[in-house]
Amino acid sequence: MTLTRRNYLKAQAAATAAAAANITLPVQAAPPGVGGDPGIKWSKAPCRFCGTGCGVMVGVKDNRVVATHGDMQHETNRGLNCVKGYFLSKIMYGADRLTTPLMRMKDGRFDKNGEFQPVTWDQAFDEMARQWKKTLKEKGPTAVGMFGSGQWTIWEGYAASKLMRAGFRSNNLDPNARHCMASAAVTFIRAFGSDEPMGCYDDMEHTDIFVLWGSNMAEMHPVLWTRVTDRRLTNPNSKIFVLSTYEHRSSDLADVSLVFKPGTDLAILNYIANYIVSNGLAKKEFVDKFVNIRRANTDIGYGLRPENTLEQRAQHANDAQVSNPSNWDEYVEFLKKYTLDYTAELTGVPKERLEALAKAYADPKLKVVSFWTMGFNQHVRGVWANHLVYNIHFLTGKISEPGNSPFSLTGQPSACGTAREVGTFAHRLPADMQVTNAEHRKAAERIWKLPDGLLPDKIGFHAVQQDRMLKDGKLNAYWIQVNNNLQTAPNTAQETYPGYRNPSNFVVVSDAYPTITAMAADVILPAAMWVEKEGAYGNAERRTHFWHQLVEAPGQARSDLWQLMEFSKRFTTDEVWPAEILDKNPEYKGKTLFDVLYANKQVNKYPVTDLEAGYRSAESEAFGFYAQKGLFEEYAEFGRGHGHDLAHFDEYHRTRGLQWPVVDNKETKWRYREGLDPYVKAGTGFHFYGNPDGKANLVFAPYEPPAESPDQEFDLWLVTGRVLEHWHSGSMTMRVPELYRAFPGAVLFMHPDDAAARNLRRGSEVRVVSRRGEIRSRVETRGRNRMPRGVVFVPFFDASQPINKVTLDATDPISKQTDFKKCAVKVVPSQMASAGEGKQ
Amino acid sequence: MARELHISSLVVHARPEAADAIRPAMARLPGIEIHGEANGKFVLTLETESEQTIVDHLNTISLLDGVLAATLVFHHVEELTEAE
Repeated sequence: MTLTRRNYLKAQAAATAAAAANITLPVQAAPPGVGGDPGIKWSKAPCRFCGTGCGVMVGVKDNRVVATHGDMQHETNRGLNCVKGYFLSKIMYGADRLTTPLMRMKDGRFDKNGEFQPVTWDQAFDEMARQWKKTLKEKGPTAVGMFGSGQWTIWEGYAASKLMRAGFRSNNLDPNARHCMASAAVTFIRAFGSDEPMGCYDDMEHTDIFVLWGSNMAEMHPVLWTRVTDRRLTNPNSKIFVLSTYEHRSSDLADVSLVFKPGTDLAILNYIANYIVSNGLAKKEFVDKFVNIRRANTDIGYGLRPENTLEQRAQHANDAQVSNPSNWDEYVEFLKKYTLDYTAELTGVPKERLEALAKAYADPKLKVVSFWTMGFNQHVRGVWANHLVYNIHFLTGKISEPGNSPFSLTGQPSACGTAREVGTFAHRLPADMQVTNAEHRKAAERIWKLPDGLLPDKIGFHAVQQDRMLKDGKLNAYWIQVNNNLQTAPNTAQETYPGYRNPSNFVVVSDAYPTITAMAADVILPAAMWVEKEGAYGNAERRTHFWHQLVEAPGQARSDLWQLMEFSKRFTTDEVWPAEILDKNPEYKGKTLFDVLYANKQVNKYPVTDLEAGYRSAESEAFGFYAQKGLFEEYAEFGRGHGHDLAHFDEYHRTRGLQWPVVDNKETKWRYREGLDPYVKAGTGFHFYGNPDGKANLVFAPYEPPAESPDQEFDLWLVTGRVLEHWHSGSMTMRVPELYRAFPGAVLFMHPDDAAARNLRRGSEVRVVSRRGEIRSRVETRGRNRMPRGVVFVPFFDASQPINKVTLDATDPISKQTDFKKCAVKVVPSQMASAGEGKQ
Repeated sequence: MARELHISSLVVHARPEAADAIRPAMARLPGIEIHGEANGKFVLTLETESEQTIVDHLNTISLLDGVLAATLVFHHVEELTEAE
């Protein structure tokens, strides 16, 4: 490389960074942007990883992704990229990529105890169809199920929902997003009648105060964190409060760090409300006009198996979701218990820090954004925690305007777009509709052009319940796509793995890599990933964004969309629908599920030639119609005119995404506020139109203790979570050598005094033991996470240290989301196993 | 294996009062060049022979006292000829 070229590239690199950082360089040597190699074709795509939804530019040469960089034109990240996104181009090229279907075989045929052997797609689908038909015939629709993902593209989730609910007539469809933000999603519906945040990422540049509730943005949402950092350093009023059960990288920027005892965040939330109310700082006119006050049922159990003593003892384990009308005086009376003294004592947080936080929320001159992620959602009282933070924003009127925003962040790239908006939960249909609502089912049957009464009205098995039902032999034909549940579900050794290997069950896993979940299955289907297919994601700020297929998938790998649609061809309506429905609607007789679900004159309406020039779509070529466009346009019918309006399909390929509702081709950045949301009429101020009465619900609830707390024997709290370099279970990022080396094996973060008290040192090998199982790990007393005494942290990305053997399968009883943040463990030297053989 | 040259750029956010201590600490890393700075924000380029060194530098910078965020922006890689 010549010196001139080297200097040119460096100048270009610097100029691009300066533009992204909004800094003027002394000498502007080169214009920003990436030019150079004419052999590379650049296209836009959202990042494959977290819920932030950054835009990346993807460079392709000879059917291979060779480079990526942050997309300067994408509003979310404005050219920045985190370390995971930076190495995106490598996730598709791991050495052990799956390229052919595999099935457990013995003597040339399927055998649950056989070894995996390569088979054709036909062989795999034939056996799957045989198993599905047998199960449906013997046990009916409640015995088939599917576990999907917030990493499904929008049309994959939509096609899956149609196949499961309308095809097999089963609501046993749930996404791994259940483990990740069900508490947030359920509370949005309870409080606002409409899922997803009212605000957007621009709130960060408009606010003064950032409050992080159980969210380590510095590691989990690094690009958003740079926007927070920028605001903090340039706005003199800006302050950051970080609430957590231990200190982490986000605490480095905190003006006030509040480390509380696990589960006691509920008391802090009520203390703040009490402070506001008792000091006469509540905006009573806002509450009177726009809010209903309700009291939650209490003593609601922990979502464990019903025979568990904790469930038997709980008064409202069976009607945990119920709340009753209340009023201002009752609410004020209820809050009185949460005094500064009581809260400081219960939580362990110094009084002056609690007071500083309450004052920041209460000060009418300061704008406040509350951010939360898993610390709030993975909580046996996650729904309550979500309610209680909204309550504070209601009391202060700090909601639905630039800079005043309660903001639930998400973990997965399409947890919002697919799991929530498409509705791939066991209780949901598209656009906030519910399977238990007869009107909603009717609307779905009409849009899908299917017979009346076809859709099942009973809520299906949620994620944790699916594991339990597999183990109990009640769920028998099961398909898992885009997730690694055996590593990420709670209490896996006792509640997940036994179900996969139960002889009466048949388990299929679609994945790009041989995860431990795939290896425990009966059939493995090789999946196309990311830009090997045309896709659409929806991020945490209601932004829907698309990408084109840019390269071909390796070998026999096929997208989940192709797999779902192709599999549907193997069933006829006569095999899977009740005779009475077919007798009443004879025109559906003898059709395949593919015919009635996808070749229905809507999904197959658009020709392949509608594709943008220069791009291909493997699925569309296979089926002979533009499947992605047809599925999206049919899906969009659900929300148009109902506050969930999506733009036309083609528009999303032209833009860097749009925030719904998109009305008259204009996106909506803030919902429910006059002048900002086209659905709110002039003169109303606010209109929470998701609820029939146009008001939001303030639901109050007390502090209740976690399901399991440390005792004499299991004397430490265990918290699990993620680290910056790895995405969830690590099935993609552990295959990028640079990321693997940056954080190769999980460690146990522990306070140095807790280590010393157990005769442990940094680097000591230990066993982490709970009542359910144990793993081996190494002690880390320094580094990015600083633990208080009594609390330890283990990340879950490392398959060789499956910490979920140790966790407890307690869930929020309302949202059914698992609490991965609170259980009791002990930590002992690993040599203890051979103790008694003399000194070590 | 052919030698490679990686040119990348970073944006670093730091506490303004810590900038004076952070500047020389970053400048000591091989291949680094500071192009601009304002209110605790730095624009850097890196010249390295592997991606691993980029990740190592990024981690080193992230863990300096007063550094709040270090983010990658641009990356370009070319093979070097023998003479280089």
